[in-house]
Formats: sequence, C-alpha cells, structure tokens
Amino acid sequence: MILFRAILLFFILITPLKANTIYNLIKIPNLEVYNIDSKNGLRYLYATKPFRLGVNIKKNINCYNSDKKTLDLNYRIIKKNLDRYSLSFLKKINLKYIVLCENLSIAGINTAGIPNNKTRTLILDIKFNENYLERAIHHELFHIINDNYKELFNDNDWKNFNKKDFEYSDCSTCNDNWNLDQLNDGSGFFTEYAKSTISEDMAEVFSHLIFYQDEISIRDPIIKKKILFIKKIILKIDDTFNF
Amino acid sequence: MIKKIKISKSEKIIFVFLIILASVTLGSYFVIKNKCLFVKNHNPENINFEKPENIAILNAPCGNVIIELYPNVSPKGVERFKTLVRSSAYDGAAFHRVIENKLIQAGDLEFGKRDNLDYGKVGTGKSGLGLIKSEIDTNFKYDRGSVGLARTYKMDTEDSQFFIVLQDEPLFEGEYTPLGKVLYGIEVLEKIKFVSRFHIVPRPDFINTLKLLD
Repeated sequence: MILFRAILLFFILITPLKANTIYNLIKIPNLEVYNIDSKNGLRYLYATKPFRLGVNIKKNINCYNSDKKTLDLNYRIIKKNLDRYSLSFLKKINLKYIVLCENLSIAGINTAGIPNNKTRTLILDIKFNENYLERAIHHELFHIINDNYKELFNDNDWKNFNKKDFEYSDCSTCNDNWNLDQLNDGSGFFTEYAKSTISEDMAEVFSHLIFYQDEISIRDPIIKKKILFIKKIILKIDDTFNF
Repeated sequence: MIKKIKISKSEKIIFVFLIILASVTLGSYFVIKNKCLFVKNHNPENINFEKPENIAILNAPCGNVIIELYPNVSPKGVERFKTLVRSSAYDGAAFHRVIENKLIQAGDLEFGKRDNLDYGKVGTGKSGLGLIKSEIDTNFKYDRGSVGLARTYKMDTEDSQFFIVLQDEPLFEGEYTPLGKVLYGIEVLEKIKFVSRFHIVPRPDFINTLKLLD
C-alpha cells in the first residue's frame, strides 16, 4: 500500500517540464520573456520549446517554438497591430500576456490564436497564413472581449440581422469552408468562416473594422447593421476607443 | 621458521597515501552532506534596524532570513502576515514550491504543515482567516529578495501563502501583493531543498520559526 501511494504521488507531483516563474503566473510551460516594456502594458512571451496545454489529462493544445528570425519579424507585425489598443482598454478586457509560438493547434486543427481570459493570455501563431495574420490578431482579441462581456453581446439580437433562412453551424469547425477571403455577395457575412458561429461572425466583423479602418466600404445592409452593433458595444466598454 | 618480511619504502608510501585518501573521502562526505556549511547565519540582535517593528525573522534549516515588511505599500497584506506570524502559524510550514534559483514558496497552513503534510493538496490550503484583496503597487520592483503574497490566477485571493524571489522578476510587477524585502540571509533560501521537474517538493524543508523582532 505504501509503495502504491509512493508511485501515485510520483505521477501526481512530477511534471514534464522544468517549471519557471512564468509558468507560475500563466500556467504555460517553456516560455521566456520577449518584451515587457510596451506602452500599453502588454507583455510578450515566446516559446523556447514546444508546449502542450489543456484541461485535465487531455492536453490537446499544441504549439512550437520559432527560430529567432521568424520571431523577430513577426513580433514587429503583431506589436504594430496590438499597439492600437490602449492600456486602459486592455485592462478593461483583461488582456496582459501575448504568447508567441508557431503551428498552434487545438485538437489537431490549426488556429491563429487561443484566448484565455482567466489567465489574461492570448496565444498567437506567428506563422499563421501571412495573408490574414494581421487581421487574425484582431479577430482573436475580439474573443477575449466577447468572453469578458458576454452579457453585452446578445446572440438573439445578432441572429436577427441575418436573412431568415440562415442557420449557423453547431461549432466553428463544423463547417467545411473556413475561407477567410472577403466575400462581396450580399450574404451579410464578411467571410465564409463568419458563417460558422455567432461568435466567429462577430470576430470577423470586428477584425475587418479594426484592420481595414476607413478603407472598408460596405454596401451590404446586414453587415452595416452588424458593424453598428459591434461599435456600439465596444464604445460601451470603453468610450474612448478609437476605431 | 617464518622469515619476517620487511616493508619496502614504496609500500610505505602507498599505505600512507591510502590512509590520506580514506581520511579525505570521509571528511568530504561530512562536508558535502552539510549543505549549510558555508552559509552565514545572521543574528538580528547584532543589527540595528530603522523600523524594528517591521522586521520579521524566518529561521530555516541553514539559518536566519531577515525580512523588512512594507506596511506603507500593502497595509492589509502586511497586517495579515503579522497576524499569522504573531500566532506562530508559520512555524513548521513547508517550503512546498521551490524553483531552483528562482523562487521559494511557503505558508500553506492547512495542507503544508510538518505534522499534516498533504502532497495532493499542498498549495491550495487556507489560513481560516479568509481571503484578502490584492494590493498591487506597480512601482514595487520585484528584484532579488522581494517577498510577495501568493494567490490563485484570480486577483483578491491572497491569504497566508507567500513567496520570495531569488532573482529579479520584472514579470511579477503589478501582479502580486508585495510584502517586503529580504535584508539579510538570502543565501539561506538558496539552500532550501528543491527537486527538478517537481512542482511540489517531496519531503520538503520546513520553516523552523517565523517571528517578529519586536
């Protein structure tokens, strides 16, 4: 019995990683500081080795470390985009840590980012499709906003913007078409991916709004309504937000 | 008749060499075993403090760690810490989380005491006095020897557990409630037992006593 308990304790206490103080803070192993002196208080960390995360024994989130050249290059792009958000706004949406790594996946499906509002962390795949990387940063950041202010983003109000016969999929990966190219077909959606779930649709509207700013010209009346909805709520969260 | 064999000079040298080798090996064993051998033990009675009422003395296996508390930075946190120190609550508490040359953590009064150590739960225990609010001071620099109150990933969950950083930790600034800084004896903390790849130390070292100077 004593031997059994000792073996059990060994497996409970041992970790497949060498713990550091960053792990203590955000529960992601194998990270080091990249830059913590940004004006808006964001702290950029990078993976020094691959890491796996997840709830309980199922660690189904994977990400890998990058070479320095890729890291330096993409850090500049990511920082330029995230610098658009002020310290006060980031505090309101509870985001502080940006984890930079590559080939990020969840349950084997590649993704641009994984937000975690409990640990105030956004993991970003710095090698995500370069055509969409910058917009995807804002898309993933929206999920942090959405998670923190769920009560403001009313799903039924949003659904009512769409054509009556339209139905979202059951999940963001249930639909086969994840295309991120901009649609101009009057369907009420920015991209095919936006048709997957309400949350992804909102994130696509937000990311287009932030990334294209004034360059965006919308004729689609449904998208116009969606943009107004998102703008109204973001200004409710922070009335100084600059679109 | 047995003829007496005379020991040669070279045999004598080898014999003396073996004796010396055995003595050095035996001596080294005791020197290496005593991890505290070269650690200076600071006696607070020989030191003058500006604010003796804010001095806490943590006695660990290798000696005293003298900590200055900062009630002006985090009044509630220091008040909680002093309350627990005065009741000797920390005596016999394990240094349950130790990251080599980076951080030591102790103060789980529910599952981390010498006579009631629960490896499955240590680090999650409470003091029974309730949680207190985080007192974040963005100007407080978490440099080597800084002492802070531990919490869960949520703010306002501080209780009795505290940590001391053994290297500068700028990432901790604005994250944890500062308690104070180690004035003397940080080398004592560097000798606290750790085990690589274990986030909780099996058979850990314990705080012998934690007292206030006044």
